[in-house]
Amino acid sequence: MSEPEDLELEGLQRQLDDAFETTRPRAGFEDELWTRMQARRPAVTRLRDAWMGLLQGIREVPAVPLAAVAAVLVVVLGAGVLVYSGLGRGGGAASTAAGRESAAGSAPLSASGAFGRLPSPVLTAGPAANTGSPQSVTAPSADYAGPVALTWAGKLVLNMASAPVFRYQEPSTNTADQFATSLGAILVSRPAGFLGSYQTTDLSVRVRGTIQSPASEPTFILLPMASVGAIDAAGGPADLALVFLAEHSLAPSWQYTSAAVVSGDVSKVTLLRQFGVTGYGYANLVDGRGEPYGIEVDLKGGLPTAATGPLPLNLDSAPYPTISADEAVRSALASAPAGGAGTGVPTATLTTAELVYTLVVAGDHSFYEPSILFSGTFTVSGTKYVKRVLVPAVDPSQRSS
Amino acid sequence: MVADRPPFEDLYRAYLGRIYAYVRAQVASSADAEDITAQVFMNAYQAYARFEARNTTPAAWLFRIARNATLDHFRAHGRRERLRRTIEHQPVAEEDPSGVAEERIQYRALLGQVAQLPERQRDAISLRHSGLSFEEVGTLLKCSEDAAKMLYHRAVKALKEAVEKETA
Repeated sequence: MSEPEDLELEGLQRQLDDAFETTRPRAGFEDELWTRMQARRPAVTRLRDAWMGLLQGIREVPAVPLAAVAAVLVVVLGAGVLVYSGLGRGGGAASTAAGRESAAGSAPLSASGAFGRLPSPVLTAGPAANTGSPQSVTAPSADYAGPVALTWAGKLVLNMASAPVFRYQEPSTNTADQFATSLGAILVSRPAGFLGSYQTTDLSVRVRGTIQSPASEPTFILLPMASVGAIDAAGGPADLALVFLAEHSLAPSWQYTSAAVVSGDVSKVTLLRQFGVTGYGYANLVDGRGEPYGIEVDLKGGLPTAATGPLPLNLDSAPYPTISADEAVRSALASAPAGGAGTGVPTATLTTAELVYTLVVAGDHSFYEPSILFSGTFTVSGTKYVKRVLVPAVDPSQRSS
Repeated sequence: MVADRPPFEDLYRAYLGRIYAYVRAQVASSADAEDITAQVFMNAYQAYARFEARNTTPAAWLFRIARNATLDHFRAHGRRERLRRTIEHQPVAEEDPSGVAEERIQYRALLGQVAQLPERQRDAISLRHSGLSFEEVGTLLKCSEDAAKMLYHRAVKALKEAVEKETA
């Protein structure tokens, strides 16, 4: 290469340096974007930061009178509860409507909540245990298909009179196409049972709508191909899965806990979906068998091989009155077959109970409704089984049947 | 928070301009560059709690997200536009005056030339002049450090020829 050409190239490189150093977004974009990012943080994170900020402020200003601090604490906690109760993301209109209804005082607990009377859940029935109250259904216990008598030896505390019900509208092919476009995928076909099948250079994407039985919400399925590169993230499979999802704008906007099953270089990571309930905390979304679920990512050797999860959809939310702890326990025990113990029927002792959410499929709109999941164990012929009972938590007066 | 990981806001303030410039060198309008940059930092913000800086620098991690977001943008919007420009031999679309006011015009033209380069050459120049080392460029482009240097030098030569052709 000649010396003049070298100089020209060096000059061009200097121009490039200058070009990249001086090209910046318009004034105000930086703060505007930061504000948007803050607004999209999970409410619990905002509350935590507000709390930490308050504590920091107290440490930095020791002269603040105790009474004033207490007053501020009450205000912050109150605001936190309000933020917390708005966890149903995307719940623009309906959340607002629900808020107005709560403010109206007696309205929410009248004939029906904001969504009207709710459809009754169709939970997975146990083989021979579904002869009790129609308000509760026994999930199957491992491989044991016979009847099981139930006793309760736990403690259930429900510090709330109502819980939010979440609702989504059944997605159209247009909704599925928009989702695929956000991934950069192009429509390939609309195979039977799917809203669409799409393709990017490194991903195959399928989207399907709600399935009636077993109940399953609209779902995306990604089948990354060999060209998907290794993920730049240290840590365990859960970290890799989350970075992969984030890189494709699929990191969940909802609260979750993660679980990973690892076998050699193959692992399955599940981000278990949760719903926030004021006065309770976070409740897992469970299927008809009582198993929590959410987004699943399969990894092999650090590379994603498949991912599936609920299609991101806007959720409306509205509060509905719930049954009491005593009523929940009675319903759970009533789900056992008539006759009970003492007739050769094993007895399962239910010892734990938690608030969960279950999907209730209903036409154009489907619902995530609160339930109480009871669990316990029993032994038959030396083999220990787990017994689970799901009891719908929404007051029966709010149900359509 | 892990000790060797700075607060995300520090990262955001330090890299926003560089990421924007990188993206801006790839796409036709400042509006697209803003949208993609916003997506990059939204994604990074969500993933940052689980990011660990043992195997990669925050810069390389952010630029990888930026590169993926830019490629996603092209997949979604770019093919048809690029095809149209190729067929019609049109330069990169002119921007609205408010956008032009943000950038020095000679550099805007130069970045427009960068945007016309083949993908890997465009990436090599953009990543390198955004402050990444050749090792980091190689990692992002899935090649060795030496191959990244070679690719970069070829890209600069190709850019020089394109600039000369444009001004001839």
